Amino acid sequence: MLFNYWISLYIIIVTPFGVQSPTSSCFLGTLGCRTGNPMIPDWMQKIEIGPCSCCTVSIGKKKGFVQKAISDLFTFLEECMVNDAIAQRKGLLQSLDPRVKVVSMILLIFAVAMTHDIRLLAIVYVLTLICAYLSKVEIGFFLKRVWVFIPIFSGIIMIPILFNVFTPGDALVTVATLGPNAHLGPFALPSVITITVQGTMVALTFVLRVATCVSSAVLLFLTTPRDLIFKSLRSLKVPKVYVLTMDMCYRYIFLFADTVRGFYTAKKSRSIKSLPLIEEQKWVGNRIGYTLVKALSMSEKVHQAMISRGFTGDIKILHRYSIHQRDYVACVSVFALSIFLILVSQNLVKI
Amino acid sequence: METIFDLRDVSYTYIKRFDALKNVTLSFKAGEQTAILGANGSGKSTLLSILNALTYPTSGEFSAFGMPIKEEIFDTLEDNEYARFFRKKVGFLFQNPDIQLFSSTVFDEIAFGPLQLDLPPDEVQKRTEEVIAMLEIENLRTRAPHMLSGGEKKKVCIASILSTNPDVLLLDEPTGGLDPRSQIWLIEVLQDLAKAGKTIITATHDLDIVEQISTRAIVVGEDHTIHVDCDCASVLGNLDLLMAANLIHRHMHRHGKLLHEHLHAHSQEHDHEHGSSVVE
Repeated sequence: MLFNYWISLYIIIVTPFGVQSPTSSCFLGTLGCRTGNPMIPDWMQKIEIGPCSCCTVSIGKKKGFVQKAISDLFTFLEECMVNDAIAQRKGLLQSLDPRVKVVSMILLIFAVAMTHDIRLLAIVYVLTLICAYLSKVEIGFFLKRVWVFIPIFSGIIMIPILFNVFTPGDALVTVATLGPNAHLGPFALPSVITITVQGTMVALTFVLRVATCVSSAVLLFLTTPRDLIFKSLRSLKVPKVYVLTMDMCYRYIFLFADTVRGFYTAKKSRSIKSLPLIEEQKWVGNRIGYTLVKALSMSEKVHQAMISRGFTGDIKILHRYSIHQRDYVACVSVFALSIFLILVSQNLVKI
Repeated sequence: METIFDLRDVSYTYIKRFDALKNVTLSFKAGEQTAILGANGSGKSTLLSILNALTYPTSGEFSAFGMPIKEEIFDTLEDNEYARFFRKKVGFLFQNPDIQLFSSTVFDEIAFGPLQLDLPPDEVQKRTEEVIAMLEIENLRTRAPHMLSGGEKKKVCIASILSTNPDVLLLDEPTGGLDPRSQIWLIEVLQDLAKAGKTIITATHDLDIVEQISTRAIVVGEDHTIHVDCDCASVLGNLDLLMAANLIHRHMHRHGKLLHEHLHAHSQEHDHEHGSSVVE
């Protein structure tokens, strides 16, 4: 029986407007009668209709730093969601055992890091693109994910190497003519600053090496569900406590991201005028502190939830993998390729 | 019936200042279905937390399954057979599903309990699959908790408890945030579990579900003491008691030109008849 029998307890009825019992007058006020209500102060009973005639509408393209940071955070999280969807597709790499993928990736990155031959690096890079295609990863999306990091992590640091100041060699482009006896402090500079062929090749090799390594790592993350990546780290003897911690961190990042979004939207909905930068910064600092306190409180409760279900500190992880023939083929292929790259890099095999 | 939980003059105070429970003396028997009713902040969740040996009374005595419950038994690094027995025996559904769902996929979440029981991997797999099938959540098995709706999270929380097959279920606001269909689903699950002989203790202020899932009702007042402990029908029929405990309130509202007032529970939508008077 539902609790509808309150119906039968339906007691007092019906008071017309104007009756001065406190309860009913309160009720009438909420319905829109704006006179003589003792609960609502006078200023709250005023209603403004429409914007003031002096209002101007300005359209600004520039976002505040808080808004920009939060937008970027959510773009990142949305990309993570997209990644999860890619990991569920039926493609080449998705069909492989995650342990094979993790071990193969580490091996390949090691071999690529030792390789100096730009042709071999180009071949391996093209192989990663083919793997991406066969794993149903959109090539445009894949290239964007990889190359967005390359200028940051390798391009900028390789810029000096291009010049004859650091890599002497055949001039490719003349940048500046300094004349004889040019100095930068105690350092002597060449009379003509040029970008050299040798320097360009070193920079290109380095960038391609980084791009190939990043491509392998991105492929692993795109084609493997996050929990399986963490669990497969156990096969590399990573301690259980780190695996569990990483797994839980990943899970709760999303929860706290939602909390942060809530803070921001709540503030936005009540922001009548824009605040000075210092006030915005104070607000961000305050919310960071609050999020930390909330995270600590939640961590205690999560620990209680774990204890309640029998957790005693001994971490148990269920991983039931089944190795197929294709996993052996993939493992042997990557292993052979990596050995070949290492042998070539050590001049033990000539090509 | 065997007494499973026994509280004698139990009190709990947060940070030595704020009372959460005062002088509570209660006992729960195996196979009983009990509702703990109280307004927000009355101490229902604290009481459940004490019953699950997650929080310990600041004064008074609490024993479970004939053994006194002490912090030294549970919060120790040493493996403790009684603590393992207790955790196996008692399942706790937390009010906030995000606290309870700490694994990265639904499957892992449900497998967590059986793994803690040291069951062989095949048995863990089988149990997890069976609970997933029982609660009809096959479509969620590979999903991450942050990708579930409120109702789905609640289902997974319940599945994660049932996979260890506890005999005692402690439920903290189980219908909170659920849509009507999910509420009915949950009530039916709890009724089936009650028929199977499980002890179910539910903390709630949703009076709509009380009679459907329990036979006994305990009212915790806003003064953090136990006001009444008797059968559901008597508690729900005692309007003064429910008003005093802030579980119902006098409510006035209007339908078109009709203005009327009736008692109202702190829950969902409600049906009621309308008086004949007309607002002019």
